[in-house]
Amino acid sequence: MKDSITIDRVNSARLPKRDTLAHRFRKQVSLQIFVLLGMAFLLVFSFAPLFGIMMAFKDYSISTGIKGIFTSEWVGLRYFYEMTNDYMFPTLVRNTLAISLLKLVISFPVPILLAIMITEVRHSFVKKFVQTVSYLPHFISWVVVVGMSYAFFSTEYGLVNNALMSLGIISQPLDVLTNPDSFWGLVVGSAIWKEAGWWTIIFLAAIAGIDPTLYEAAEMDGAGRLKRIWHVTLPGMKSAIVVVLILSIGSMLGGGMVGSNFEQSMLLGNSINSDKSQIIQTYAFNVGLAEGRFAFATMIDLVQSIISVFLILSSNFIARRVSGTGLY
Amino acid sequence: MKKRRSKEDIVVDSINFTLLTIISLVTLYPFYYVLIASFNLGSDTAQGGLYLLPRQFTWNNYAFFFNDSNWTNAFWISLFRTISGTLLSIVFTCLVAYGLSKPYLLFRKIYFLIIVIAMNVSGGLVAYYVVLRSIGLLNTFAVYIIPTMLNLFFLLIAVSFFREIPEELAESARMDGASETTIFARIIMPVSLPLLATMSLFIGSGQWNSWLDSAYFVQGQSLRTLSYRMMEVMNQTLVSSDTAAAQFMTNLQLTQFSVQATAMIISVLPIVCVYPFIQKYFVQGMMLGSVKG
Repeated sequence: MKDSITIDRVNSARLPKRDTLAHRFRKQVSLQIFVLLGMAFLLVFSFAPLFGIMMAFKDYSISTGIKGIFTSEWVGLRYFYEMTNDYMFPTLVRNTLAISLLKLVISFPVPILLAIMITEVRHSFVKKFVQTVSYLPHFISWVVVVGMSYAFFSTEYGLVNNALMSLGIISQPLDVLTNPDSFWGLVVGSAIWKEAGWWTIIFLAAIAGIDPTLYEAAEMDGAGRLKRIWHVTLPGMKSAIVVVLILSIGSMLGGGMVGSNFEQSMLLGNSINSDKSQIIQTYAFNVGLAEGRFAFATMIDLVQSIISVFLILSSNFIARRVSGTGLY
Repeated sequence: MKKRRSKEDIVVDSINFTLLTIISLVTLYPFYYVLIASFNLGSDTAQGGLYLLPRQFTWNNYAFFFNDSNWTNAFWISLFRTISGTLLSIVFTCLVAYGLSKPYLLFRKIYFLIIVIAMNVSGGLVAYYVVLRSIGLLNTFAVYIIPTMLNLFFLLIAVSFFREIPEELAESARMDGASETTIFARIIMPVSLPLLATMSLFIGSGQWNSWLDSAYFVQGQSLRTLSYRMMEVMNQTLVSSDTAAAQFMTNLQLTQFSVQATAMIISVLPIVCVYPFIQKYFVQGMMLGSVKG
């Protein structure tokens, strides 16, 4: 590195500075091409859609294509008011917040506990087996997970209903899948089933990083298993817990760490439970792509993004204040 | 010397072992139940009481699946997009990462800033749809594999992975007159096996499981993916619109659920087969990622 700079300086002693840069650029031109290809990709698929945000404030129609985003007329906050006045709006906000908060509160401790339990296993085969099993559902499609919940809870052929009925515990099949009141429980439960095991991977890494002499010292002082978990393992996981908590709060409206609110609501929602299953994102999808009200749907997307950014920044700020660790 | 287990140890160990056994069963049994349902006669499954083994073993469900053109088409689309999409994404992401991994790359800071911005902001689904529409990707197979070509999460992981590869390896090839493309393909990629294995599992399972893009960006049956088709069948009422198919299903004593279970097994099987072999690589990889944050 140092050598190449000195060589450059010698070679270009009589040349103006501009040429030195061009010369260095030419020397690494193939590397630059690799990277610029990636940048071109981002320009199209990440940054071009950003201009689309303008649609939220414009009278846009899809037939005008990309050009229409720039040429259509500004309408100010018309779609924002249209959104807040929409008859579904209070329901959507309530469902989105309720599902997100329930997932955050109920699912957050699960991978932490599971990671501690896995660490406490002494048998290395059992340990490996449990780890392999608990990561597995993460790689399965949400569609399959929903299919499994049909297999277990359907009123016609569901295994749980069949078993409970043949044991005489219930006389009518439990309507878990379409009953609006059970929707939030179903969403949170299946999200934990699918993703909680996966998140143990981060906490297991954190536990693996704890200095083993701390455990020995604690044992010398007469601390039993539970005391060691409480006074050594948990404090050792603190920074991992804070980081994952910030990430989950930041991505809370999308479903946090336990997976996609949108996919779950799309797949498990139906006309019977829509009062509890429609969330902001599914509504934006339905009115946007299905009904063709693009500008209106963009406004809904935008509002949700702004709330998410606010959540990330404030959770980071609070974490920094409380524990001294933050992401940014 | 083996330490004697205290009373507390015994209690903690046995409670822990019991709980973990229950958790493992709760995780695995749904897979197992769907498996036996796919090998059982549909009309028999519908009577309930199927728990441990198929009662009326049959291949009918699988025969139906592979004879139904909608299912097989969806299967091939999913398989083809998984293979091509995963290869394309790995090669492109690694190529960009290779360039970025060089500490002497000019404008590096700017490039990373662009990447961080792209990771954190999004124009939303609708704006994305408008872009795809205007570059003509809607209703094409390419919409499955082109927009996912650059995986930003793995881009950052690959950059830190490539940085660990000693520069001398590339330098000696450069002396021999090898181009950067050759160095990338012949030297960098072959020594990055753990990274490539991890990427193929994550990107591959994402491609294989994907149904959202099939729902948004594609119309008509010919390009639907397996997961999309499962979703569609699940949401249908029991009465099939296709009466011939419905009659055929009745003749084979299939039910909608037994076919659905078969599709689920076909969807899960490749992942279950590949994943345990790649596990040791991604455990290292994720830990690296979590340490570097």
